[in-house]
Amino acid sequence: MKELEAFKLIENYLNGQLQGDALLDFEHQLETDPVMAEYFKQYKEVTSTLGFYNNRKALKQKLNAIHADLEENQAPALSPFGNKEKRKFFWNQHYATIAVAASVAILTVFGTLLSVDLWRSMGKQQAARYSALRREVENIKSSQRAIIRDITGSLANPSKEEVNPGNFTGTGFVISPDGYLVTSYHVINGADSVFIENRVGKRYKVKSIFRDKAHDLAILKIEDKEFTSFGTLPYAFKSGDSDLGEKVYTLGYPREDMVFGEGSLSSRSGFEGDTTSYQISIPVNPGNSGGPLMDNQGNLIGVISGKQLDLQGAAFAVKSAYLKQLVEQLSSDSLDAPIKLSKKNSLAGTSRTNQLKKIEDYVFVVKVYNN
Amino acid sequence: MPNVLYFSDKALLAGIQNENEEALAYLYKLHFPMILHLVQNNNGTDDEAKDIYQEAVIIFYEKVREGSLELNCQIKTYLYSICRRLWLKRLALKNRFAGIVSESDTFVEVENDIAEATEKEEQFSKMGEALALLGEPCKTLLEDFYIQDLSMQTITDKFGYTNSDNTKNQKYKCLLRLKKLFFNIYKADVVK
Repeated sequence: MKELEAFKLIENYLNGQLQGDALLDFEHQLETDPVMAEYFKQYKEVTSTLGFYNNRKALKQKLNAIHADLEENQAPALSPFGNKEKRKFFWNQHYATIAVAASVAILTVFGTLLSVDLWRSMGKQQAARYSALRREVENIKSSQRAIIRDITGSLANPSKEEVNPGNFTGTGFVISPDGYLVTSYHVINGADSVFIENRVGKRYKVKSIFRDKAHDLAILKIEDKEFTSFGTLPYAFKSGDSDLGEKVYTLGYPREDMVFGEGSLSSRSGFEGDTTSYQISIPVNPGNSGGPLMDNQGNLIGVISGKQLDLQGAAFAVKSAYLKQLVEQLSSDSLDAPIKLSKKNSLAGTSRTNQLKKIEDYVFVVKVYNN
Repeated sequence: MPNVLYFSDKALLAGIQNENEEALAYLYKLHFPMILHLVQNNNGTDDEAKDIYQEAVIIFYEKVREGSLELNCQIKTYLYSICRRLWLKRLALKNRFAGIVSESDTFVEVENDIAEATEKEEQFSKMGEALALLGEPCKTLLEDFYIQDLSMQTITDKFGYTNSDNTKNQKYKCLLRLKKLFFNIYKADVVK
């Protein structure tokens, strides 16, 4: 029990509860009694260690809590988009910018796609720079013409078809006196019925008896009881190639009236190096297709077929050699009476205007109906 | 929680001195990644990093609270040095010491602090053992009186003793028993 008493004393002393004699007594004892001094030391050590122990325990708990908190917060922070609140905050702050950026992105994407597409289609247009020259008739103009004709009362054209001007027109010319004509394949392509009409309004119904798509040529035959003969043709068909730079001209119907066009033979080959045709420098227009290409001496050297859209003054005409070849094959293969191409040229040496006067009766407008 | 109040070492030290828990938490979170990196790069696991780091923070914290810390470098460097030392020790125990990879990192000499810390760790664990042997209700009684600073009357009511003198006597008995247990374990070990 001595130890217990000693501890009580020590505690009271440390708490400042010892006073007067008791205090002095204790202090004296502490100095003189080594056992008491040892107890004092032990008391202090035990209580302070106890305090230290508890403090450290509490601290450890705190640190564990902090660590748990750290780990808890760390996991979502590692995710690339941050936690939900941060995302929400970010969205609220920047949604306008994001919207603008998104729409710019969308516009750019679709703009690029569209322009690439447009550019491609432009490329396609460039590839299709060859234009066949058949003319799409404007209904209004032609019916006006029909009305005017009705008023003037042209007796030569009593037929009812007069009112209908046709869907397409081209040009054609006579190749033999017994009613054969030639025009371009593309003019009569898809036609239900074909009529020809000359400059004074004389009209015949014709039938296409042969079509050559490769050379863009078509042979027509007049099927009309009124028709007898054209008489002797004034021009001859040339079988060889013509020379570069030769003066050439054509007659055709790019509009309702006959139009003369003049130029030179500018190349021995046609569109994209096509050797079956010439390149000529005659200004031609839709409706000129199928027109005769004549040289200075009045020889027929080709048939107008088309022009190049992206080139100034580049028109093309199929060479007469291929026309002759076609006619000869046709005569031997499928016709009872062969077509005789005239070889005699009665135009040589005459002036241009005289030549034209003789030729113009043999050049027809070809009207195509395909409804 | 980025708290601008503790952006400097001085502010942190002041915060810990005042037992500010936010300061402690801030400090803890601020430097943990560094130690995690150190331990992970030197054959250690996350848990080991946590142990080492907590030990270092405890040493630092207690020294700050005691006022015995002589800090002549950054807190970061101090913590790093402690951890480095502790980790080397632990590696030596595991017989896997191969030298710490990044010796280029700055660290200061902390041998004394480590020795002191080892001593304290010893005390801590012995006291833990002693308390465990002491058992209830002595343990709680002593804690309530010496740590929580509860009044005799409160403790009397809590434990259901008849009066406070009884409680006092009981307390002294417990303290004596703890003393015996503690010295037995502690001194015996130290003498060895």
